[in-house]
Amino acid sequence: MATCTRRSLCHFLSVTLVRHNCNRNVQAKASTVKELYPPILPSSTAKSTSAKRRVVDEFFGQLRSCSVKEKIRMLTRVQRKKYVIYPQTFSLNADRWYQHYTKTAYISGLPEKYVGAEAGSALAVDESLVSEAKSVVCNYLLQEHWYLQKTSFVHKQQELSASPFLRNIVYDLRNLLAKENPVLSLSSLDYDPQINYYWLQGERTIPRGHRSGLIEPMRFQIDDRPHSQIRIPQQLPEFVLPEAEISGEVPVISLAPDLLPLFRRQYDNNIFIGTKLEDPCCYGHTQFHIVPDRFCRDNMNKRGLSNQVEVSLRANAIASLFAWTGAQAMYQGFWAEEDVSRPFVSQAVITDGQFFSFFCYQLNTLALSPRADGQNGRINLCWGTESMGLYERVTDGDVLGWNEALLRLLLQFLLNKPQ
Amino acid sequence: MFNTTMQRIRISASTVTQICKSKDCLGVLIMIPHGRRCLSSSSCLYGKVFPRQKPRVVPEIAGLEPVTYADRMHFVPGLAKPRFPKWERGWKNPNHYESPKPEEMKLFKDKPCYIFNQRTSVVEGVRQALWLSKSAVIKEFPAQILSLAEDPANQIEDQDERVQNAIKSALLWDTTDDQPPRERYCPMLVHRLLHLCGVLQVRHPELAKRMLAEKYNLAATWRRGEDVFQVRGHNGLLLNSMNPLPVLAGPEQIQGTADQELETFFPIAPTIDLQCTNVYQEKSTTGFREGYPCPHAHTLYVMEMGNTPKLLPEQLRAKMIMFCFGNALVRAKALYGDEPRVLEKPIVVQSVATNGRIFQFVVFQLNTTELQSDSGVKNLVWVDEDKPLYEHAQARAHIKRRVVKIPAGLSGYQPETFKKFLALFLHGAT
Repeated sequence: MATCTRRSLCHFLSVTLVRHNCNRNVQAKASTVKELYPPILPSSTAKSTSAKRRVVDEFFGQLRSCSVKEKIRMLTRVQRKKYVIYPQTFSLNADRWYQHYTKTAYISGLPEKYVGAEAGSALAVDESLVSEAKSVVCNYLLQEHWYLQKTSFVHKQQELSASPFLRNIVYDLRNLLAKENPVLSLSSLDYDPQINYYWLQGERTIPRGHRSGLIEPMRFQIDDRPHSQIRIPQQLPEFVLPEAEISGEVPVISLAPDLLPLFRRQYDNNIFIGTKLEDPCCYGHTQFHIVPDRFCRDNMNKRGLSNQVEVSLRANAIASLFAWTGAQAMYQGFWAEEDVSRPFVSQAVITDGQFFSFFCYQLNTLALSPRADGQNGRINLCWGTESMGLYERVTDGDVLGWNEALLRLLLQFLLNKPQ
Repeated sequence: MFNTTMQRIRISASTVTQICKSKDCLGVLIMIPHGRRCLSSSSCLYGKVFPRQKPRVVPEIAGLEPVTYADRMHFVPGLAKPRFPKWERGWKNPNHYESPKPEEMKLFKDKPCYIFNQRTSVVEGVRQALWLSKSAVIKEFPAQILSLAEDPANQIEDQDERVQNAIKSALLWDTTDDQPPRERYCPMLVHRLLHLCGVLQVRHPELAKRMLAEKYNLAATWRRGEDVFQVRGHNGLLLNSMNPLPVLAGPEQIQGTADQELETFFPIAPTIDLQCTNVYQEKSTTGFREGYPCPHAHTLYVMEMGNTPKLLPEQLRAKMIMFCFGNALVRAKALYGDEPRVLEKPIVVQSVATNGRIFQFVVFQLNTTELQSDSGVKNLVWVDEDKPLYEHAQARAHIKRRVVKIPAGLSGYQPETFKKFLALFLHGAT
């Protein structure tokens, strides 16, 4: 009668066993001659580290051969709690944190294209064009502030005058400049579009729960609604070569994002440039943002946050432009594991109706996830100006303190054309 | 006190019951968590509704003072309810403003005024609008305007493809969801079509002499027979131009309208559905201050959004006619003065309305400001109604019994409608 007994494992582990010798001989032979057997892979179902790594590798390998639509769907499919970044935020000094999350170096001043010696030749603005543009902008300014008799409400100033003003000048300047910059006549102008971007950056240890102590990547989502934007069918040229030496540095924030504060929410992960994949106008040209009433200059000064005015503008530009440009790159089939092969470029103008600030963004890398970020030395670049006033005051039927240089810069921005 | 409170509750319960007994009951039931009934909210939906009780008549006897419970400071059965003089706050609180009676207002007039505003839905539709503006209608799109868009020199490159892309971006590509709501895509479609037309500025520099204005406040007053009429308020998106639009109908055609009878709809009064008020100001303004660089109203874009539109197509056309007429009348008064007369140079205003799919086109020509009598020269209106820009645009195909009824994407695009839109935009600039 057979009895159930435990046998020692030591017997199998012994090195001098015949089975082991056999195995070793086969392996050595196979590597030299030809692969008789497939390579030994970690299990795909076990709970070990190597098994999990294999699953992820296989998934990413599969993803590389997918179509763009499938890629975006697969990358945004699983919902987890994620940090939601609001481009127009009440947080103090948010720009440095946003730079860290988007791996962006901020460079004060505009790229050489606009300020350097080239600016005179390549982006020269005709005098007649400037005077035409000036009359357009002045007319709309006076229309909103003087000719239209409006009843004003508290906290509705932007909605009342700045928003229609910006909408109208974007529409008219686009038509006006279509002569000089033919790509604008092929462009698509969106009002109040939806911009989303979702990405992984950095790692955190799960503090509590049954998974506590595990390390997971931090997920981020930006949901942006610019006032208007121009999309074009061809790509804008890069501002600097991606290999060029840049003086800017990405600040490192070692604190948890909850301290900014950012909050974690769970909902659809979206990646969207304001249009779906079928649209031929899939590259960005310029975005126009409006500073909401509560963050505009006067209200910030009232709250004693006058030093935060420029900071919040910068934070807005970095977050919005990263989201938009990143989504454009994703629409071309790039993602964290397949980093961008060419830089992507977008521009932004942020205004509260009177003060304008200009920003340029160059996306050099999308590999921000902890898995891809290891050996990646490339950083994204954002150039920006301080805000400047377009005019000082609008009196009865007259604009005082007109700033011509700002209008020129705006025209140069719109005249930026693909090669 | 208790009685009145009870009554109030009962009244509100009955109204709630009438409104939602049919379909919303289900919604309320769904909202109840864990299948438990929440009697405070659902009982009023199912409870029996008693007819409203008549308030008790309290007789007032002259010379007798009722014994009230005022000094007791609480309700006592058998004692009368005290009546106190009205309490005055003593300072002005904008949240508790009580307007004076209309008769005591400064602008009160004995003669009522009939006001047409943007929400007015006139029951007789275009006929009533024609009577109010004393116009004769021509039910077609003016041929000389349409010929502008037929000319290949005035067309956009790849016109049909780009229009279809514009429709798709407004309807199908705008959000991460399948389709945006109508409140969003209807204005977006109009803006995108306008952007597309604006591209032609490269070829026609005259188009630069235009300005778009939204939320302008129009007020036009005129007299028709004995009554005073006004067109007032915000309405749509207005394209203004530095130059007036060319006249459409020649002098012979204008004189020909003198013989036409103005259609009436007798037992119904022509003022039906207009807002009747005694407090008004007789005002005529374009909504823009003096010295506005583009004083001539060119085209009025009206968007009728919402899945349950407030105005049916017929009423929408009436609104378009009335606001075109209002804009033209104000301009005529500014040019020729308040004296009613036949204009030497008629004023033309155009209008386009859409609900996101169907377009209505109206061209109005103001020939005369003599509106008091029904005889004499009339104004002229060209109305082109119910032109769809496309048949269907939806993200998912509609399949029934394995047959594709409606394919996914855009189908049934009609280029003729966009040509009319473009023609109205180009009118006066070529």
